[in-house]
Amino acid sequence: MSLQIEQKTYEMPPREGLTVTHFITVADIERSARYYEKVFGGRILSLGDTKGASGHIQIANTWLIVNVGGGPTPDKPTVTLSVPDPDHISSFMNFRVADIQACYELWKSRGAEFITPPIPKYGEIRCYIRDPDGYIIEVGQSTDLTNG
Amino acid sequence: MSDVQVDQKSNEMPPKEGISIAHFLTVSDVVRSAKYYEKVFGARILTMGDGNAPPYLQLANIWMILNVGGGPTPDKPTVTLSVPDPNHINSFMNFRVADIQACYELWKSRGAEFITPPIPKYGEIRCYIRDPDGYIIEVGQSTDQVYG
Repeated sequence: MSLQIEQKTYEMPPREGLTVTHFITVADIERSARYYEKVFGGRILSLGDTKGASGHIQIANTWLIVNVGGGPTPDKPTVTLSVPDPDHISSFMNFRVADIQACYELWKSRGAEFITPPIPKYGEIRCYIRDPDGYIIEVGQSTDLTNG
Repeated sequence: MSDVQVDQKSNEMPPKEGISIAHFLTVSDVVRSAKYYEKVFGARILTMGDGNAPPYLQLANIWMILNVGGGPTPDKPTVTLSVPDPNHINSFMNFRVADIQACYELWKSRGAEFITPPIPKYGEIRCYIRDPDGYIIEVGQSTDQVYG
């Protein structure tokens, strides 16, 4: 799997440079992989294994890496990974879309739980999805092109 | 703003069609964070925002959106955004690299705070960085090619 950005190729794993992926701690690797496949058209590359390997899903311009939580490891001795408190969030995926109304209808029909329908706000139209673990996914369509 | 090619499909920001995925980070100081990701990892600052609109960066194959935290909004009426508790993490950016030792030396020389040097684990060599808000960034080099 590779992708090209401004004449530069991104691969997974990369043969040179850096490829950025998004890791989420999940309760059930397969459930999450199937969700991102079914709702958003992600491509499942791996469902992980019983020895601790993560699930990998290619989606749009990035890769999603999913794994269950756990306590500290030697390379992060104070950090515990867990599924989120759904009402206290720090980082999340932000899906910028060309046609938010179409995405809202399509993804809803495939089982996405939207918190609200799309709502105009600050030069964009925006809404949020809850994924199976309670992560928010922002979905936004720019309506003023100063960001563009 | 910028564009990305994936399997002959163009990802743009904002997208003219389909989805372009960005990673949103709640930060305490948007300028500090933007400069950090620019200086350490070579991210490109596309806009510093204007008070309402947040900064956008492009880093390798993704975009980053940085903003300060805040309480509920009409489109997420129960959700508060805040910088993370550094020892209780749910989701994070995972940087897959071709040469972890080179990245470790280079990024450290530019001010990255690594929790440990790279350590072999589960078919990869891995280490973590703390960003200015306490987010972890995983840095990993695959040593087996099962996800290729």
